[in-house]
Amino acid sequence: MIKIDNLTFGYGKKKIFEGFNLEIPDWQTCLVTGINGVGKSTLLRLIAGVLLPDGGNITFGPGMPVDPRFKIGFISDKISLYESLKVSQMIELHMRMYGIKKFDYSLLEHTKIGMHQRVKELSWGHRTIFLLSLVLAIEPEVLLIDEVIHSIDAYLRKVFLEKVIGLISERKITVVMVNLNFHDVENIADRVILLKDGKVAVDSDLDSLKAKVKKVVSSEPLNGLPVILSIPREDCTEYFVYPYDEKAHRPAVKGKVMDLDLTDIVTAFIGGEYV
Amino acid sequence: MNIKINPKSAVPVYEQVKREIKLAILSGNMKEGDKLISIRELAVRLKINPNTIVKVYYQLEVEGFIASRPGTGYFVSAEAGRAQKEKHELFEQVTDDYITSASDLGYSIEDMITELKNKDDSSEKKNNGGSDDKDR
Repeated sequence: MIKIDNLTFGYGKKKIFEGFNLEIPDWQTCLVTGINGVGKSTLLRLIAGVLLPDGGNITFGPGMPVDPRFKIGFISDKISLYESLKVSQMIELHMRMYGIKKFDYSLLEHTKIGMHQRVKELSWGHRTIFLLSLVLAIEPEVLLIDEVIHSIDAYLRKVFLEKVIGLISERKITVVMVNLNFHDVENIADRVILLKDGKVAVDSDLDSLKAKVKKVVSSEPLNGLPVILSIPREDCTEYFVYPYDEKAHRPAVKGKVMDLDLTDIVTAFIGGEYV
Repeated sequence: MNIKINPKSAVPVYEQVKREIKLAILSGNMKEGDKLISIRELAVRLKINPNTIVKVYYQLEVEGFIASRPGTGYFVSAEAGRAQKEKHELFEQVTDDYITSASDLGYSIEDMITELKNKDDSSEKKNNGGSDDKDR
């Protein structure tokens, strides 16, 4: 469990979170999204213990060590590794730092990461897989993944995701993923959280969210429906409706009501903030 | 098991997976005693949360389609093939899907009936009058 209580954090005068609360139970996989700069990555860094809050508390359930960082796996493109070390030396150092007895080389072998390569020579994809291997070695209870998946190639992404799903299945870990793009990952989440102005604006499981957000394509205005974003097209307008109520709204709609995937849904919420 | 899910659909993913497995059992592609793939493996294959598969397998067990043997996994149960009511429900769902898509295209129920009859005629010709299956 991750419990965030009355969190306050800012960079200088710029406040990111003020009185922010969130609870993520054990064995939940949570997807966090929101517009650029809303504080998604900051939130992960705070949970990871890389940043310290200005106020409030982040606590973890029983089963976590006194210093929770030993059981938090954090995967981000901003993680600093010792760039000039060889892969083998980095592993050795990591094992000593965390007191790890056994290291699983299978991911590295499988993706052809050479033991003698320098860390700085690894491609982004290989670097991400290497980070995953290091993180798996600490047998994490909490896994934090900052948007890294979509900057790596399709095959490595598959390897990465399969490993993470296997881990959720076997070790019942808690996962928080920060994403801008949901291709491949939306069905891994139990819960979707959209941040806005330092607060939780949407907090829902994916299925209920899909039932509540619809796109209506119509050439007539939608009177009385809660439209969060409308996009005029050449011959009609696309209206994104939230919360959509099939019984109350369907009769009033002259046009087509369409289901959306998570990418469309988040685009509608985020787009509503820009327009 | 060859299961496909549609991420665009508003039908919850667990419903989609459940329906696909029922279809596999009711159509005879999976038979009594066949082992279902593990929760982990199915989650990895479909890139969905293992909790979702846990929910699907639990519901299928409650509905009598599958049974668990501790330590070994889930198997298609003996009662599964006899679930005629379920079979009909599934048939209705498939029919609803067809009607929705076809009416979105602007076809009436009459058009659909005509089309289905045409299909039936041509498949009969192809099968050289193989009508054995028709009374099922």
